[in-house]
Amino acid sequence: MDFGLTQPQELLRDSIARFLAQGVGIDRVRRVMDSESGHDEAIHAELGDQGITGLLVDMDRGGSELGMQEAAIAAQEIGRAAAPVNFHSSCVLAPLLIAGADGGERRSGLLEGIAEGKTLVTPILDAPIGNGRVDGSVPYLPDAAWADAFLLEDEGSLHLLDAATPGIGVEPLQTVDQTRRVAEVTFSDIDLGAARNLGGNAANTRRAVYAAQIALAADALGAARKGLDIAVEYARERKQFDRIIGSFQAVKHICAEVLAEVEPVQSLLWHTADVWDGGSDEIEHFAPLLKAHATDVASHAVTLTTQVFGGIGFTHECDMHIFYKRAGYDRQMLGNPTALREQAAAAMYP
Amino acid sequence: MDTMIGSRYDSLREETRSFFAANRAAAVPAGPGFGGDASEVRRRVVEWQQRLVDAGYAGREIPQRYGGAGHEPDPLANLVIEEEFQNAGISLGMENQGISMFVPTLLHFGREDQKQDLIRPTIRGELIWCQGYSEPGSGSDLASLRTSAVLDGDEYVINGQKIWTSGAREADMMFALIRTEADAGKHGGISYLVLSMDTPGLDVRPLMTMTGDASFNEVFFTDVRVPATNVIGRPGQGWEVGTYTLRFERNMLGRSNATENYLAGCVDILRETGLIDSPVYRDRLLKLEGRVQAMKYHQLRLLTDRLKQRDSGAGGLIVKLNNCQLNYDVCALAIDAMAERGVLRRGSKHVRDYGNWQRNYMYALGLIIGGGTAQIQKNIIGERGLGLPREPKPAAV
Repeated sequence: MDFGLTQPQELLRDSIARFLAQGVGIDRVRRVMDSESGHDEAIHAELGDQGITGLLVDMDRGGSELGMQEAAIAAQEIGRAAAPVNFHSSCVLAPLLIAGADGGERRSGLLEGIAEGKTLVTPILDAPIGNGRVDGSVPYLPDAAWADAFLLEDEGSLHLLDAATPGIGVEPLQTVDQTRRVAEVTFSDIDLGAARNLGGNAANTRRAVYAAQIALAADALGAARKGLDIAVEYARERKQFDRIIGSFQAVKHICAEVLAEVEPVQSLLWHTADVWDGGSDEIEHFAPLLKAHATDVASHAVTLTTQVFGGIGFTHECDMHIFYKRAGYDRQMLGNPTALREQAAAAMYP
Repeated sequence: MDTMIGSRYDSLREETRSFFAANRAAAVPAGPGFGGDASEVRRRVVEWQQRLVDAGYAGREIPQRYGGAGHEPDPLANLVIEEEFQNAGISLGMENQGISMFVPTLLHFGREDQKQDLIRPTIRGELIWCQGYSEPGSGSDLASLRTSAVLDGDEYVINGQKIWTSGAREADMMFALIRTEADAGKHGGISYLVLSMDTPGLDVRPLMTMTGDASFNEVFFTDVRVPATNVIGRPGQGWEVGTYTLRFERNMLGRSNATENYLAGCVDILRETGLIDSPVYRDRLLKLEGRVQAMKYHQLRLLTDRLKQRDSGAGGLIVKLNNCQLNYDVCALAIDAMAERGVLRRGSKHVRDYGNWQRNYMYALGLIIGGGTAQIQKNIIGERGLGLPREPKPAAV
C-alpha cells in the first residue's frame, strides 16, 4: 500500500502542470471566458499533443493507456488551471464509452481522433431514442456547440451521429462558469440509420459515468486548492490596521478550516480512482460518495476563501471568482451532492 | 499508487479470526454497545487486555523483555489487525495515557531499569497512569508551568498544582512536567518525572465534568518527595520528553477507528428506528460517511508517508481538529435519531447503549477543547501549515 504518486505519476503531474501554466495561462483562460463562443479551437489539439486527451485511450489507438489515477491527476491540474475544457466529458466519458463498447470496426478512427485531440465527441446519456429514431431536445451538453459528433447513449447502446447530420440544431446556453460551456441540442426525428451503431451495454455506461464523476471531483479539488493558495498568498501580503491580515485569527482560521477540509479529499480521490482501476463493485458507492463530498467541500472552500480577499474578491479582476464558479459547475454536472448521496446510500444501505 | 492492502497479510487475517473464535466469550465489544457496572467493566477490560497482550495483538512491538510480543515494527500488519478487530466489532484493548503515550516515551527516553519496571504492568492494564501537565495558569501555553521541585539530597521536593488531570483518582502513577531548575529559562528548566499516586503530600480533588463523571481532577502537591532517579531522560530535558509524549496524544485523540465504530453504531440505530429510509436522515448519514471515509484514507496516506519517509506537509496537523469534530457530529446524529429517548442518561430505564451516546457526545466536546483547543489547532495549521504570520504580541500597557 502506498498513497504517494509513483515517479511516472509525478512526472505526468509536473508535465501537465507545466504545460497548463505556460500554454494555458490565466490570460488565455480569461480571453476564452470573455469570448462569445467560449471556445478556443486550438486547445484540444494542444492537449492532444501533450497526450492529455488520450490518457485513457489504448496504445494501439494512439493513446497512453493509463488508468483513472492518471486521469484524476490530469483533471485536478486542469481544475487548478481553470483550463477551458470539459475534460470529464470529452477525455473521460466519451473515450471510455467508446472503448468499452463492442462496436469493432465501426469505431475505427474515433479513439485515434480523440487521442490526437482532433475529434471532439459530446456524449448524450439517456438520449431521446425510440423506434430507431432520435427525436427531442437535450439541454446542458458540454462542448455541444463545437463537437464533431454526438455519442447517443440509450440503455447502454451507443450511436455515433456526426454533428453535421441534417436535422440537428444546436443552441448555446449561457453558463455561470465561463470556462466551460454547454448547449442544447435538438434532434428533429432523425433515423438512426444515419448513425454508426457502436454496440455497448449498461454496465459499460455506468463505469464510464463513475469515471467522469471522479474527474469532476478532481477538477473541483484542483479549483478549491488553487483558491486556497491564492487566498493564502493574499493574506500573507495584504495589510490592514498596520497588520498582515493573515495574522488576524478571523482570517487565519478560515484558511485553516479550508485546508483541514480539502486535504483529506485528496486521499479519498486517490483511493476512489484506485478502486475504479481495480474494477471492484465498491465503485458503486465510492464514486458518488467522492463526488458528493469533494464538491461539497470545494463549494464551502471557495465560499470561504473568496471572503479572505474582502471586496476585491467580489470583482471580475480578481481570479478568485474563476475558481469559485469552476467548483459550482463541477458540483452540478453528472449529479449534485444531494442526489449522489442518495445514490451512494442506495448502494451502501439497500 | 496502490491504495489497497492486498493479499500479503491474508494469513495474519486468518490468525486474527481464529483468535476471535477461540476467545469469543471474553471479547470486549468495540463501540457504543458496551458498558454497565463500572467494576465489572474494568474487570472484563483488563482480562481482555491481558489476553490481547499474550496473543501479541496489544503491546505487539514492545520488546519481549518488557512484556510485549517483540514483533518487528510493521504498520501495515497493525492496520490489518485494526481492520479485522473493527470488522468483528471487537475492542483492540485499552487505550489510555499510560499505554498510548507514556510507554512509547519511556521506550525512547527511559533508562533500562525504568523500562524493566514500568512497561510490563502498564501494557497489561495493571498499572494505570495519569498525565500531570496542565496547570491553572498554564493551559495552551504549557511551558509557562510553575509546579516546581527542589533537590534535597537524593529526592525532589515538589510543590504546586496540576489541573484537568484525567483519571487521577483511578491512576496508580503519574508522569508530570515539573520545573526543577528555576534559572534555566522557560523551556529549559523543566523535567519529566514519574511518581506514585500514593506519595504523601499528594491531594486529588475531583472536578465534576459536564458528562456527569469526575473524569478530571485537580492534583495538589505539598512537599511531595520523589526519588531523584524518577526523572525520565535528563533533568532539564522535560520539555523535549513531554512534547514527544504529546505527539502520541494527538494520535490517540485523533484516531478514526473509534469514529468508524460509532458510525456503524449510528447505522444500527437508524435501521432499528426505520429512519434509514428517511431521505433526510440518509443525507445526514452520507454526509458523515463522506467525511469519515476521507479521514480514513487521509490517515492511511499519512501512514504510508511515514513508511516512505515522505513529508506529509500540513496533512498531519489537521487530524485532531477533524476527527474530534467528526466524533461529535456522529454522536449528534445518533441522539437525534433516538428522538425523545435521546434525553436519557446512563442508569436510566429505557436508555440505549448504557447512555454511551449522550456521554460521548459531551466527551467529544471535551476533546475538541482538550489536547490543544480547536482554535489553537487552527492557529497551528494556519501558521505551520500555511505559513501565515503569528498574531503580533500586544504592546505593553
